[in-house]
Amino acid sequence: MSTLTEQRGWFSALASSSEPEQSGPEPDWLRNTRVLARDAIRELPVPNRKLEAWRYTSIEGLLQQEFTPAVEQGRTWTHEELEPWLGPAADVYRLVFVNGQCIPRLATGLELPTGVTLGSLRAALGTDPKLLATWLNHTGAHEEHLFSALNTALIHDGLLLHIAADVELDRPIEVVYLNLEQDKALLNQPRNLVVLEPGASATLVERFIGAEEAVYFHNQVTELVLQEGAELRHYRMQEESRASWHLASLYLSQDAHSRYQGTSLSFGGRWARTEYQARFQHEAAQCELNGLYTVGKGQLTDFHLDIRHSVPNCTSRERFKGILFGKGRAVFDGRILVEKQAQKSDAQLRNDNLMLVRDAEVDTKPQLEIHADDVQCSHGTTVGQLDPQQVFYLRSRGIDTDSARRMLCLGFAGEIIDTIEVPILREQAMERLTATIRTATETLE
Amino acid sequence: MLSIKDLYAGIDGKTILQGLNLEVAPGEVHAIMGPNGSGKSTLSHVLAGRDGYEVTGGQVRFDGEDLLALATEERAHRGIFLGMQYPVELPGVNNMTFMREAMNANRRARGEPELDAVAFMKRVKEEARHLKLDEQLLKRNVNSGFSGGEKKRNEILQMAMLEPRLAILDETDSGLDIDALRVISDGVNALRTPDRSIILITHYQRLLEYIQPDHVHVLVGGRILRSGDKDLALELEEKGYGWIEEEAAA
Ligand SMILES: Nc1ncnc2c1ncn2[C@@H]1O[C@H](COP(=O)(O)OP(=O)(O)O)[C@@H](O)[C@H]1O
Ligand SMILES: [Mg+2]
Repeated sequence: MSTLTEQRGWFSALASSSEPEQSGPEPDWLRNTRVLARDAIRELPVPNRKLEAWRYTSIEGLLQQEFTPAVEQGRTWTHEELEPWLGPAADVYRLVFVNGQCIPRLATGLELPTGVTLGSLRAALGTDPKLLATWLNHTGAHEEHLFSALNTALIHDGLLLHIAADVELDRPIEVVYLNLEQDKALLNQPRNLVVLEPGASATLVERFIGAEEAVYFHNQVTELVLQEGAELRHYRMQEESRASWHLASLYLSQDAHSRYQGTSLSFGGRWARTEYQARFQHEAAQCELNGLYTVGKGQLTDFHLDIRHSVPNCTSRERFKGILFGKGRAVFDGRILVEKQAQKSDAQLRNDNLMLVRDAEVDTKPQLEIHADDVQCSHGTTVGQLDPQQVFYLRSRGIDTDSARRMLCLGFAGEIIDTIEVPILREQAMERLTATIRTATETLE
Repeated sequence: MLSIKDLYAGIDGKTILQGLNLEVAPGEVHAIMGPNGSGKSTLSHVLAGRDGYEVTGGQVRFDGEDLLALATEERAHRGIFLGMQYPVELPGVNNMTFMREAMNANRRARGEPELDAVAFMKRVKEEARHLKLDEQLLKRNVNSGFSGGEKKRNEILQMAMLEPRLAILDETDSGLDIDALRVISDGVNALRTPDRSIILITHYQRLLEYIQPDHVHVLVGGRILRSGDKDLALELEEKGYGWIEEEAAA
């Protein structure tokens, strides 16, 4: 157990171990943002068990590991090395990041409609500085916690998506983050910015893929700004390596009548945490968050929701499901705050967990804090096993025990997978889940 | 085909079947009647191999094979089908997918080729039509939100698809109105063949007006106290079960 000072030292050492501002001229606003972030690293509380948000999720293991920020590619990757990870880019606008850096030559389908900016944030510093000056760190992510501050201090590259008013993107955008093995353990920190102007609409798919034994920390910050009436469908599938740490912090800001529909699937990583922070700026916005996680031996998977209804008439729906099949741990901490003036808020939060083994652990903590009196809010959480009556029913029809369990698990997860409106991703998710469940059920008694 | 000799079985330390004997020949329909709690569902569960039941005596042979030594799914592969008194709901499991999986699991186990998707669809829709089961229910999750009658029809649909050698129908008639009872009975009658046997578990004589049994047995206190033909059912309807228990005690 290290001291708090040592723990903070881990963050500050990383934040000053590389100076991205030295790699090219930088605008003042970005320098200032970095300064603010480095200041925050000196002041923000160190995540530990005493902080409510980190009560069930230890970062001890992470802090014992040394990382090198991957600000430049240590090497070039050949087409042959990367291609097998990617698969066909059918009917999507695709962008590929390797260890946090955008690889422009792997982008496909980028003859974009007018009004759409999609590409590397780094590149946009040269081509579109005004856009970045307006929006980057608009949500004040660096003040939220040390990891977001660390990401902000070292902002280097990431996804930039900007869609002009009333433009509807015809195809999904697929962003693939490949985290590949290098001689050092890397700190990969994509910094993403997504801005949809009024009435714009898009579908964004993010895939996180890790090479089998690669040791790295993927510490991503995504800011999402939905202006009036904008619509974003945002699907995320996390398949990081079993030796990796993965933290995705999503900061969502929604204007009136905007609609965000998010589905996050968390399969990989030894330590994986996804945080959603949602803020309604104006009335009649809708936010739907769905999530599915599987937890096997030695894995920790954590979902953190921080939804704040501070204006009237907004709707939020949160549905998260977990399947635990090995000695591991899941954490679900869903907090919805309805402020006094947020009348007619409609918020519903659910978390259901299916435990296939006894020695898995789940800490589920749904929290509704309501200060308004005319609202519709509910929350519910369950932790259960497969129902022996259901297994018997299937077996009595000739289906063997393994298959019966598998069908029931897939049935349990189906509700979440079905929220993905991109058929190819739904298939990929189903394939990954089926393989995971297959291994899981075969090792059960 | 099915031979049950002196069967003792129970659950949670409680012996429920107390020396039960039953012989079923190919093509026969046997009705088992009895008051609530007499062990009818227990018998059906023990035959299907549900977990939790302990057999403490006797034996069950199916085509000469020791049925009790087989796993639940193996019994299904041999042709045993249980229409359940309380069919469970399977959230997230599509009814059609489930039925195809079940059929193919049985076919694989018997070394038969799997049914192709088109042939399967055609058949399942045809059978659903015979049973007046709304086609929409095939697309829903198994039994999820089905009415009592729809669940029972879905059981008979599975029987029709799986073509068992021995079907045990546990109170398939309970909770059905007269029209549904007729449809289900017609469905079961259509499935009667010279080598398919049926055990009809029921509470009421009513069902036996629609499905004519070859034999009627009265199960009381875990034993078959009396066997006869369908006139026995009428007698029970008239006099209740009390007189049989009294006679047996005498
Ligand atoms: N899990 C159980 N534990 C103890 N007793 C049970 C259990 N399940 C059923 N029984 C008892 O076994 C007896 C027979 O039940 P059952 O076979 O369901 O009767 P039937 O179908 O004829 O109404 C009843 O007395 C019932 O209470
Ligand atoms: Mg019963």
